[in-house]
Amino acid sequence: MPGGKLFVRRRDGRIEVRINDYGRTLVRGAFANVLAAERDPDHEWHLALSGPIDPSLDRDDPLSMLAREKDTSTNAELAGLSVDEQFLNDTEAWAWLTTLQVTLRSVAQTKGLLTDEQLAASDEEVLTYVRSLQQFLFQLADCF
Amino acid sequence: MKSQPVTTTEGDVLVEEAVRTQKPWNVIVWNDPVTPMTVVVVIFKRIFGYSNNKCTQLMLAVHHEGRALVWSGGRERAEAYCVKLQVSGLQSTIEQDN
Repeated sequence: MPGGKLFVRRRDGRIEVRINDYGRTLVRGAFANVLAAERDPDHEWHLALSGPIDPSLDRDDPLSMLAREKDTSTNAELAGLSVDEQFLNDTEAWAWLTTLQVTLRSVAQTKGLLTDEQLAASDEEVLTYVRSLQQFLFQLADCF
Repeated sequence: MKSQPVTTTEGDVLVEEAVRTQKPWNVIVWNDPVTPMTVVVVIFKRIFGYSNNKCTQLMLAVHHEGRALVWSGGRERAEAYCVKLQVSGLQSTIEQDN
């Protein structure tokens, strides 16, 4: 990771993206994975994206589930379309933030990182990926 | 919730019905070990429009207690908020108030 801020809110309201090629590759992969998981029921992350809304019911309200699927896909699509942009508008930056956060939660659930101890004990590659996502999110959240 | 009695007469029979309002539905956000605290605050602000202080208090409640009640009210709006939180990557559910 380079030093300095990775995302900067400019005076014209846009958010400048200052991540390097490694960062672009990482977020591009994250956005593509969320979109694929939303569309493919067999994807490793699919279950993480479709947790219950009301755990007391066997089946959640279909309209709520539909809204979730549609909104997740929309955010991931918008994030994917703007992944190479140097400047993001507010809607695109929000799509980046939510899609990166969905990625982080999906990785945590599929890798069984549900406690601080499990996170600390995870392998180096997973930990590096999680830390990178957290760094992006931490700095992007600072722009809102 | 307070019940409001409704009284009517049908012929010689006195009929009294109690109208009960439904218990509110709570939107719950659950803790996880990976989400940065600032992200949780930003998402709460964006979705609920709460003040920075309130969002920070709710985030800390999630962090320390494992879960926090972030909104309470009608079921449809509770579901809608729950969906927005899940789409934003936070683990959330709804449950009816006891």
